Amino acid sequence: MLFLGAAFTLGMAVLAVELWRLQVVDVADFKENQRRQNTRTILIPGMRGRILDRSGRVLADSRPSRVVVCRLESFAGKGGVSNIACGVEAAIDRLSSVLRLPRPPSLTRERIVRHLRESGVLPLDTWRDLDDVTLARFAEHAEEFPGFDEIVRAERIYPFGSLAAHILGYVGHDRPEHDAAIHFWEPELKGRAGLEARYDGYLAGATGEKRVVVDSRGFKPQILRDATGEAQMSPPADGLDLRLTLDAPLQHALERQLKGVCGAGVVLDPRTGAVLAIASSPTFNPNDFIPVLTSEKYRALADDPSHPLLNRAISGTYAPGSTFKPITAIAALDVGADPEAEYDCRGVFTLGAFRLHCWDRYGHGAISLDRALKESCNTYFCNLGRLVGTNAMVRTAREFGIGAKTGIDLGGEAPGVLPDAEWKLSHGGDPWYPGDTCQMAIGQGMLLVTPLQMAVACAALANGGCVYQPYLRERDFGMPPPAPLRRIHCAAGDFERVRRGMLAVAREGTGKRVLFRYGEGRERHRLGATCAAKTGTAEVGTGETKRKNAWVIAFAPYEQPTIALAIIVERGESGGLTAAPKAHEVLASRFGEDVP
Amino acid sequence: MKKLLHMDFLLLAAMIGLVAIGVVFIRSAGAARQIAALHSAWRAHAATAALGLGLYVALAMVDYRKVLKWAAWPCFAAALLMLCAVLVFGDKVYGGRRWLWFFQPSEIAKLATIALVAQLFGREGARTDFKGFLAALAILSVPVALILAEPDLGTALVLVPTILTMLCAVRVWMKGLVTILLAGLISAGALLGAVSAAERQSDPARREAILSHIPLRPHQIRRLRVFLNPELDPSGSGWNLRQAKLSIGSGSIYGKGLGKGDQKLLGYLPPSVSMNDFIFAVVAEEAGFRGSAVTLALFLVMLLSSLRIGAACGDDRGRLLVAGVATLFFCHVYVNVAMSIGLMPITGLPLPFISAGKTFLVVLMAAFGLVQSVALHPADQHAAATPN
Repeated sequence: MLFLGAAFTLGMAVLAVELWRLQVVDVADFKENQRRQNTRTILIPGMRGRILDRSGRVLADSRPSRVVVCRLESFAGKGGVSNIACGVEAAIDRLSSVLRLPRPPSLTRERIVRHLRESGVLPLDTWRDLDDVTLARFAEHAEEFPGFDEIVRAERIYPFGSLAAHILGYVGHDRPEHDAAIHFWEPELKGRAGLEARYDGYLAGATGEKRVVVDSRGFKPQILRDATGEAQMSPPADGLDLRLTLDAPLQHALERQLKGVCGAGVVLDPRTGAVLAIASSPTFNPNDFIPVLTSEKYRALADDPSHPLLNRAISGTYAPGSTFKPITAIAALDVGADPEAEYDCRGVFTLGAFRLHCWDRYGHGAISLDRALKESCNTYFCNLGRLVGTNAMVRTAREFGIGAKTGIDLGGEAPGVLPDAEWKLSHGGDPWYPGDTCQMAIGQGMLLVTPLQMAVACAALANGGCVYQPYLRERDFGMPPPAPLRRIHCAAGDFERVRRGMLAVAREGTGKRVLFRYGEGRERHRLGATCAAKTGTAEVGTGETKRKNAWVIAFAPYEQPTIALAIIVERGESGGLTAAPKAHEVLASRFGEDVP
Repeated sequence: MKKLLHMDFLLLAAMIGLVAIGVVFIRSAGAARQIAALHSAWRAHAATAALGLGLYVALAMVDYRKVLKWAAWPCFAAALLMLCAVLVFGDKVYGGRRWLWFFQPSEIAKLATIALVAQLFGREGARTDFKGFLAALAILSVPVALILAEPDLGTALVLVPTILTMLCAVRVWMKGLVTILLAGLISAGALLGAVSAAERQSDPARREAILSHIPLRPHQIRRLRVFLNPELDPSGSGWNLRQAKLSIGSGSIYGKGLGKGDQKLLGYLPPSVSMNDFIFAVVAEEAGFRGSAVTLALFLVMLLSSLRIGAACGDDRGRLLVAGVATLFFCHVYVNVAMSIGLMPITGLPLPFISAGKTFLVVLMAAFGLVQSVALHPADQHAAATPN
């Protein structure tokens, strides 16, 4: 008996010691393991901020979308996953007939099973974006459908439809950004393109965190339906509103001009570099991407030969044609070329094997810089380019921002090409010929620019030589105005000469249609401000694919410019006929027209 | 009735305390699901305990010698009959035939075997030589074989050491006992060794080859593997052990409070185990180390009180009876708690007085009624014989 007593006491002591070890010594480990086992962290996104134009017009907003969701734990009594899925499916079908809505095609059996397995604590979205009538029907029958609830989710809306679509971009649903090890997330609107992507962190706000207790099957336990089942760890913070420099009416005017053609346009404030309007055509409607961008819709856009998703204003590169001539002129004046020196234009320029026709096949006769700018004489500028040399032109063009990204706060910007001997050698291996210099002088050849670069250059011509970095996000209130990136190296008088030349272009030269609108009976409607311009007609391609891209750059008012723009229309007739009237309309939307 | 005033009240009090713990935690475990049968399980437990208490008092009043003399053989025979019947008519639950209508014959057989061995080897002039040893083995082997046929390895495994301890107490052919003890230890060691050797095999085919030579059922092999490697298959065979350890470990010193055990509320410990074999996990989680230590202390009080009664009793039969009951009781407690905390492989043994299990509860109370009877009926004329 004594022996048994000792043995039993020893046995109990062993158990007690082991229990002490588990319950007192290692308790923290077990508690942590248990917490890990039965809690799930859910990320909750903050409300996405709006995007506003410079006067506070809402370009992108969050709107409430009413969604009927299914809380799967209500069906959890039905045993295994396939049984629960079966029950949910049947309930959805019944609800579908009550709501008189077809069952969403994405809500397949597999989808339900996957949701059950992977995110049982989260409600399953059934029908999205319900209207009032359907919601009333749901409310009427809600009691027959335990486990179904109506909740509000945020969706994106672009009130102006396709307005500035390329700039605003669009959103998709994604997992919120967060470092912590998390299990589930409520979908967050995430910027996929344009400013929505560029300023995503700013617009998205801060993601909150919620802990949910789950039972052994991964559901919210019904027995803990009260507050103990959920604990908010950190609340989400709403995103901030993004105010842009864009001016919605000007943007609208620009887009209307580009409607139906392939092309792009950029309007800047030459005093700051603020982008007032920036458009690319054809365009798309970002509302079509909501709530989801289906693959068919995306295919249709991506396969469209006119590339509606491409933002031509910053990603499209084109030969600038004659709109480059003011830059050539500045380069020439800077190295001391005589503007009064005359050149005899006979309609064709020949340099060794290089031959180039002036657009006036009979020639302009004896011509100096002022008239050459006004008439856009090719032979004069070929000769001028030959005189000043490639290096001077490249230096000045680089100062204007040609050949490098402007640094605008948008993704996908193309740098364009500002060729020199070195570049040509490394891209094809041919040496630089004197003809290449002549080509560059008239904005042809290997030179490629984006419409945005031309607008920046035009702004620099407008403001007397200050190159600003273009920007879309309005500077915060109280911030000093932006400083120019650099000043163009050129005497003020020479600069004024080129500006005067551009004024003459708009008054009586190739850019008449920027200043005047010609009505039916040849009556002229004059723009409500003096403006200066330069047109360009760039020939691209050869043979069958030979086509002309019509350019115009313009600024107004001439004395104190507040607007500088660049417009390109692909496959136009000429800069003066195709692009210039569009510039007129855009400027008229700001300055109006004088009554004749 | 005056006799009852002399009974061991400490033993009674500890028992009632344990039954109360059982009622409270069965209720707590059952409340985790919205199922009426689970909600009322605690009432059934209390009612059965009341019935058992009646039997307890009745048996305590009667001289255990008379009980053994008149009832030992008939009870044993009846138990064997029922064990046979359960193999034929029993309801199949969890892969074994253990239930005859509303009770488990194997539980009755445990007490009947103890009583018979006490009766046979406690008599004056009982044979303690090789022949007596063979007779004891013969008696033991019949119920053990029938219980193994159900199959119910756990019950068989506690019955064997219980009877061997009783034989040891009257020194029946010690050589044989020592041999059996050694054989048991060696075979257990060999089993575990084989399984752990298999576990260490990285090649699954060779592991299966080793495991296929182990003469155990697949689920038993799995339990051994889980015992050796608790991280194996945490969502299958290892689930209950892992969850029981999580329950116990997260209980800390003071526990989470009655009815607030996360593990059972969230279904990690389902009611099918939380109110039966793994109820200790619920006690430890909700009452903490404080509660589990008190429970162990009550078990120890019962054990030591019983042994004190046995030591005070001058009669071999009484001594044997007490030793048998106490050993059976200890085996249950130890095996159950040890498996809940991972010290032993999982075996389906209930925790005495606390697990929901009506037959076992009544049998246990009857057994301790007999122990009380030993306390109340001291041997006046047979004070001489002194084994131990």
